Amino acid sequence: MLEAEATADMLLMTQPFTAPAITESTEQPVEVLLVRAVLSGERDRFARLYEMYAPMVHGILLARVPRGEVDDLVQDIFLHALRKLHTLRDAAAFGPWIAMIARNRAMDFYRSSRETVEVTEQMAVERPPNRTAKEILDMICRLPEAYRETLVLRFVEGMTGPEIAARTGLTPASVRVNLHRGMKMLREKIGAVAGQ
Amino acid sequence: MEDNYLWDRSGEPDPAIQELEAILGTLQYQPRPLEIPDHIQPGQRRRFLPALAISASIALFAILLGLWFSFSRRQAPALEATQDKRIDQKIVTPQPQNKPNNPSQTVVQSPTPKAIPKRSEAPRNVLAVHKSRPSGTVIRQPQLTPEELAEKEQVLVALRLVSAKLNLAQRKTQGLPQLNTIRNQHKIG
Repeated sequence: MLEAEATADMLLMTQPFTAPAITESTEQPVEVLLVRAVLSGERDRFARLYEMYAPMVHGILLARVPRGEVDDLVQDIFLHALRKLHTLRDAAAFGPWIAMIARNRAMDFYRSSRETVEVTEQMAVERPPNRTAKEILDMICRLPEAYRETLVLRFVEGMTGPEIAARTGLTPASVRVNLHRGMKMLREKIGAVAGQ
Repeated sequence: MEDNYLWDRSGEPDPAIQELEAILGTLQYQPRPLEIPDHIQPGQRRRFLPALAISASIALFAILLGLWFSFSRRQAPALEATQDKRIDQKIVTPQPQNKPNNPSQTVVQSPTPKAIPKRSEAPRNVLAVHKSRPSGTVIRQPQLTPEELAEKEQVLVALRLVSAKLNLAQRKTQGLPQLNTIRNQHKIG
């Protein structure tokens, strides 16, 4: 119910991506210049796009797939994006575009190989992360999708609400709602665990 | 206030949120260079695709038009073609009989040749020429055997049945009141 509500919020409040806050000296967003440069043959410029958007893609994946798979998937997604960059019609919408690729790839990961999850969990035990961090991340991952993605980008990747909105293409109002509701639910979950 | 810190880290910091930031920050993305294999190149936009689609559509239309013309020419029945040939001959054979009796009269001749050239045998559009053709075409009814007549009757009954069903379906789709099918049963057999 909550997930459906959050998804509906996302769908209703998502608007066509406008120019993000990060701009160069010209009026065009830096993404536009970089995408055009890459398409005109300057392949090295793609590394800059990677630097800018890798944390966001990492956060989106971390909210959906096991942690051990995330780094490789980030690389795969960017290579896929490089191959398909010519299909991007609006260069300013690079962020929402690659965010959608990441969400779809995470979905494909679960659709195609559930067995991999088991192996990854074993691998994760071999290299124990901060236990509390993993526990809280697990709690976040049990929240509705829209909340968990926004919370991971906020707490794990350290992005602010406006940055999340600019990078993912969601409206600031939508991000604000997701942050607020997600935080409320996370507090309840943490409180319930602490009370046990 | 708490909401502001959660939103953009402005305002009074919330200790709980700060704690979450500190704990979950350990899972943050660790920068790692992107290794792009040499064979991966960004694809090129296909700018010629719309022009190609338009030219393909035009070519397809031209082919279809040509096929339609050739097909419509073949539709002309052979019988009409032979009758047409006879009428053409009638038009061509009569010679001008109105020679001037009086040699003093001047005759103004047109620059056109006296003899009408014989029409070529190439197929032509007979529909355009035969407007004045007398419509005395006799359609011969084939002699049918009793079995053939029975089969013909069956076909007609089947056609009537299909027609009735189509009417019914049309009335249903248009929301019109349906006819009493029992009353019309004798019509459809």
